[in-house]
Amino acid sequence: MLITDKTRQSAVALAVLAIAGVMMLGAAEISSEAGYAGIGPNFLPWLVAVGLAVVAAFLWFEARSGGFRDMPDASASDAPLASAPCWRGFAWMSGALLLNAALITTIGFILSCTLCFACAAHGLRQAQSGSAQTLRSWLTDLVIGLLIAAPVFWMFTKFLAINLPGLTQSGWL
Amino acid sequence: MDVLNQLMQGFATAGTPINLLWAFVGCALGTAVGVLPGIGPATAVAMLLPITSQVDATASMIFFAGIYYGAMYGGSTTSILLNTPGETASMVTAMEGNKMAKSGRAGAALATAAIGSFLAGTIATIMVTLFAPLVAEYAVRLGPPEYFCLMLLALTTVSAVLGQSTVRGLAALFVGLAIGLIGMDQITGQARYTGGVPELLDGVEIVLVAVGLFAVAEALHAVLFEGASTESQNKLSRVRMTGSDWRRSLPAWLRGTAIGAPFGCIPAGGTEIPTFLSYAVEKKLARGENLAEFGQQGAIEGVAGPEAANNATVTTALIPLLTLGIPVSNTTAILLGAFQNYGIQPGPQLFTTSASLVWALIASLYIGNVMLLVLNLPLVGLWVKLLKVPKAQLYAGILIFATVGAYGMRQSAFDLVLLYAIGVLGLVMRRFDFPTAPVVVGMILGPLAEAQLRNALSIGEGKWTVFLERPMSLGLLGVVLAVLVLPRVFKKRG
Repeated sequence: MLITDKTRQSAVALAVLAIAGVMMLGAAEISSEAGYAGIGPNFLPWLVAVGLAVVAAFLWFEARSGGFRDMPDASASDAPLASAPCWRGFAWMSGALLLNAALITTIGFILSCTLCFACAAHGLRQAQSGSAQTLRSWLTDLVIGLLIAAPVFWMFTKFLAINLPGLTQSGWL
Repeated sequence: MDVLNQLMQGFATAGTPINLLWAFVGCALGTAVGVLPGIGPATAVAMLLPITSQVDATASMIFFAGIYYGAMYGGSTTSILLNTPGETASMVTAMEGNKMAKSGRAGAALATAAIGSFLAGTIATIMVTLFAPLVAEYAVRLGPPEYFCLMLLALTTVSAVLGQSTVRGLAALFVGLAIGLIGMDQITGQARYTGGVPELLDGVEIVLVAVGLFAVAEALHAVLFEGASTESQNKLSRVRMTGSDWRRSLPAWLRGTAIGAPFGCIPAGGTEIPTFLSYAVEKKLARGENLAEFGQQGAIEGVAGPEAANNATVTTALIPLLTLGIPVSNTTAILLGAFQNYGIQPGPQLFTTSASLVWALIASLYIGNVMLLVLNLPLVGLWVKLLKVPKAQLYAGILIFATVGAYGMRQSAFDLVLLYAIGVLGLVMRRFDFPTAPVVVGMILGPLAEAQLRNALSIGEGKWTVFLERPMSLGLLGVVLAVLVLPRVFKKRG
């Protein structure tokens, strides 16, 4: 592997530093009107921003000098990272979730979630076996997804009166 | 007796058919959630938070308490039968429980876990009944400086002490505090970190953060890293204990309860320390053949003690939650969020302003414990079948429920994108072993602590010395310091 743990952990430290930067930019815009307290609404934002920056510095130092401290032993952890990460499966699941966000208001909760279920299950199957999927497994997943999404929809909308988008205005699908 | 009277009233409220039904559904759902890998009580309660807009406060708190409790029972089933321990709470149970199951004594391990949980849960509930009103009475006298110090203590222990690394714990805490900052400032009403997005004025929903960090991140982690890993399941034997099992379990249950209960009361959170402590004590006290069983065929004390300690801690953790409004774990933090959704702020006044709700909740804990004993002893075979659900469908199904929780709260597709983003954040955190509890606790406790800090400084007319002039807040600051320094000293020596 070209990307080492050192690089990855340094990247995490930089990401924390980036969050600290964003927090500082935001904190600068907040008024410091303090009243009786002596500290205003911008106190905690600055504290958090500086805290993040300090923590980022520590993380950077750890990453550069032998890696993060006290990491769980890879052989003892419950999920050994023996196999290479399955990015294709990850892409399928990400797609499933984002597609769901894009479609839920237009095609309704049931259909959108069924689709999300099938894509996510496809990704997980791919991660497990790595082999190509048959049409059959797609169909099974779609049916199971529908069988979960539809009762959930009716249960939550009819009994608990939570608003979930239906396909039609009458709200039956 | 006043307490007894109010408790009886609580039973009357909790005993109505509809509330019993809520408790039952909660317990059953909680057990299922505890048994299923990849989803825990915090996630389940978070996903169901949208019901707070429709169901009345008492019913939903009974329901949530059932889930909270049920998951503890269910979790032990998984850790005994599956060779991959789920949550940290059941890690210790898994050590001996697994060994017992491998040597054909799964049934005895399950029985001692369930009965021990029942015993410890009931004793701890009695403690909640007796002590919570006393603590509440005392807590009324606390001012903002003391509250702030208590919250500081909770935040410190959750982030700096419980995880593997203080640096990563603090990073998680600051991220949580940062998320908590988004929205309107409670005191001046000024918008902070909203970036002009109107949806962010109300802040980021707890549902989003909890479901994203736990459920979505878990699913993403599973697809990315756990593809080829296979789990092996131990064979279930008949769920019964022999006479010698009883003799060995009973003292272990009681010791576990005694160790676990105090840990829940102090805002120092987490079940890891009490369960490990109980395990260590049992191992130390074991003699002869019993000692030889530890780590070999599996010793029943090693299951009985930690399981009792776990349930006792989880139950007494309700004392700081109800009387001080201070959550010490993921799930109690989300329960606090549920109270807030009803416009109820848990704290010393809760026992006077919402007395019927509190007592119904406490009564339902007694009822729930009995229900769970029945659900878990004779029916354990039913729950074990849940372990057969294929992973692909399980995680994909969790995503559907995650959608319900995230979308149901505000009906905004924007929230689903945010949910994915938080899921990716959780994935990175999990990959690099950042703890997630500080994020959730920090996000919920942060704004409350900030308000107390500013009120405290207002009282002190802007002088920070206000924290040093009051004996109790000074004492608490000392504890915070000790909590930060002592583990380091021990580490250096040990």
